[in-house]
Amino acid sequence: MKKKVEQYDVVIIGGGAAGLTAGIYCGRARLKTLLIEKSLVGGLATYTNEIENYPGFPDGATGLELMNLFHKQAKKFDVRFKLTDVKSVRLEGETKIVETFRTIYETKAVIVAGGGKPRLTGAKGEEDYLYDKGISFCATCDAAANTGKTVMVVGSGDAAIEEGMFLTKFADKVIVSVLHDEGRMDCNEIAKSEALANPKMEFIWNTVVDEFTGEGRLEEVILRNLKTDALLPVKVDACFLFIGYIPNTEIFKDILNMNNSGYLITNEKMETNIEGVFAAGDVRDKFLKQVATAVGDGAIAGYGAEKYIAESETFHNQIMQDDMPGLVFVWNAVDPKCRDLMPIIEKYEAENQGKVRVIKVDIYKSAGIANRLGVFEAPCVAMIKDGKVFKIIKDRICEDEIIAAIE
Amino acid sequence: MMAQEVLLDCLGEACPVPLVKTEKKLTTLAVGDILVVQIDHSCAMKNIPEWARKEGHNVEIEEVDDGEWEVIIEKVK
Ligand SMILES: Cc1cc2nc3c(=O)[nH]c(=O)nc-3n(C[C@H](O)[C@H](O)[C@H](O)COP(=O)(O)OP(=O)(O)OC[C@H]3O[C@@H](n4cnc5c(N)ncnc54)[C@H](O)[C@@H]3O)c2cc1C
Repeated sequence: MKKKVEQYDVVIIGGGAAGLTAGIYCGRARLKTLLIEKSLVGGLATYTNEIENYPGFPDGATGLELMNLFHKQAKKFDVRFKLTDVKSVRLEGETKIVETFRTIYETKAVIVAGGGKPRLTGAKGEEDYLYDKGISFCATCDAAANTGKTVMVVGSGDAAIEEGMFLTKFADKVIVSVLHDEGRMDCNEIAKSEALANPKMEFIWNTVVDEFTGEGRLEEVILRNLKTDALLPVKVDACFLFIGYIPNTEIFKDILNMNNSGYLITNEKMETNIEGVFAAGDVRDKFLKQVATAVGDGAIAGYGAEKYIAESETFHNQIMQDDMPGLVFVWNAVDPKCRDLMPIIEKYEAENQGKVRVIKVDIYKSAGIANRLGVFEAPCVAMIKDGKVFKIIKDRICEDEIIAAIE
Repeated sequence: MMAQEVLLDCLGEACPVPLVKTEKKLTTLAVGDILVVQIDHSCAMKNIPEWARKEGHNVEIEEVDDGEWEVIIEKVK
């Protein structure tokens, strides 16, 4: 089967809070924008029943409700959605390729917003009970099915304890396996005191999962006490894992810079190591992974993609023209040395009207264009001929040098 | 024999029912067949596509309406 080829200005990989926000910014900038999501639009936030710390919702909102609003807003700005998974990318060069099972998308800019996925325990038998066989990562998805039952929660962070408390509304008993000593948990203090006071919650301290067992479906979780090594079998109907998340970055290995755990490295403009490729949200190496920060990242990445595309257009349509020679003066308005040279450049411009196209680029405002010319400092003059840079003058910029270069 | 396309109606059904039905139905199909699972509980969007991809099948989803989807699974093996 031959793959279809489609062109976009921006392709966003991942439809969580970060991707949707980037979409809103790109859509509003009238860029032709595609968002590719492999699962439910809304991302990991839809896994929680209660988001209480996202500003603007004083009464809280369910993750699904909140993300549906994001989705609606992105659609309003004509972001197109494709629900499938991105299999591979080729990001070098100006036309970037994003490939799915049926289609090859060619795009000017890519925003990576793939977020994270739940971490597994690695315990024996785990693989056999994933999906609908008893191990879950989503309390809102599977709570109702556990009405009147006994469930286990593994972990003691905010997600584990808050989701565990939500589960007590359905299950008869929620048993929490905590790695730490008695009374120590990783969650916030409010959640901790509420959980400890909840009569349906029971804690088993100093434990990790050793094995999952059961006939076809999960029936028992065998915990191991970290201090005594004793094994403790616990009968459960389901087990919810909340032991952290790992980034969805396998397809970017050896392409984008990442830290040891696989989180993408960006600067504060959400730029990755490849020009025109941005990363936003939980997929980044960052201090706080929340909806509020994912939104901030997405806004920056969307804005950055817009600027990058505009800059590419200026570069091709104004600077790298082959109808006549060009002179690009890269300068910095706050630098006196640069300002001193301006009269020379302007005199040259006036004398060569119609023969040489003179363009001034402020490196402070658009370092991107200077970088594309191979210029990293100002003042500097780049000479263009036949649509290519043929000479860069860094030292002793003067009229004679320029004239000599043109001839 | 021509590959066939089979529709599986899971409308109105909550997790884990749609995934259980999908797994069962897929075992009755031949390689190359296409199973279209209709769902309207968002929870099924989180496990059916992931499960099917993990099994090695090709998956695409169409949003048919607000809150209603078709998960299209091409059986690969
Ligand atoms: C149980 C739980 C409770 C939480 N509670 C809160 C809370 O109360 N407040 C708060 O602010 N935050 C909370 N969070 C954190 C919040 O959900 C995340 O910070 C937020 O979802 C990050 O958004 P994101 O867009 O960066 O990534 P994600 O939400 O992870 O979205 C990434 C999306 O990309 C998709 N994707 C990945 N790879 C591909 C690919 N190759 N092709 C196509 N699509 C792909 C994924 O399917 C996913 O939908 C909670 C998280 C969990 C799990």
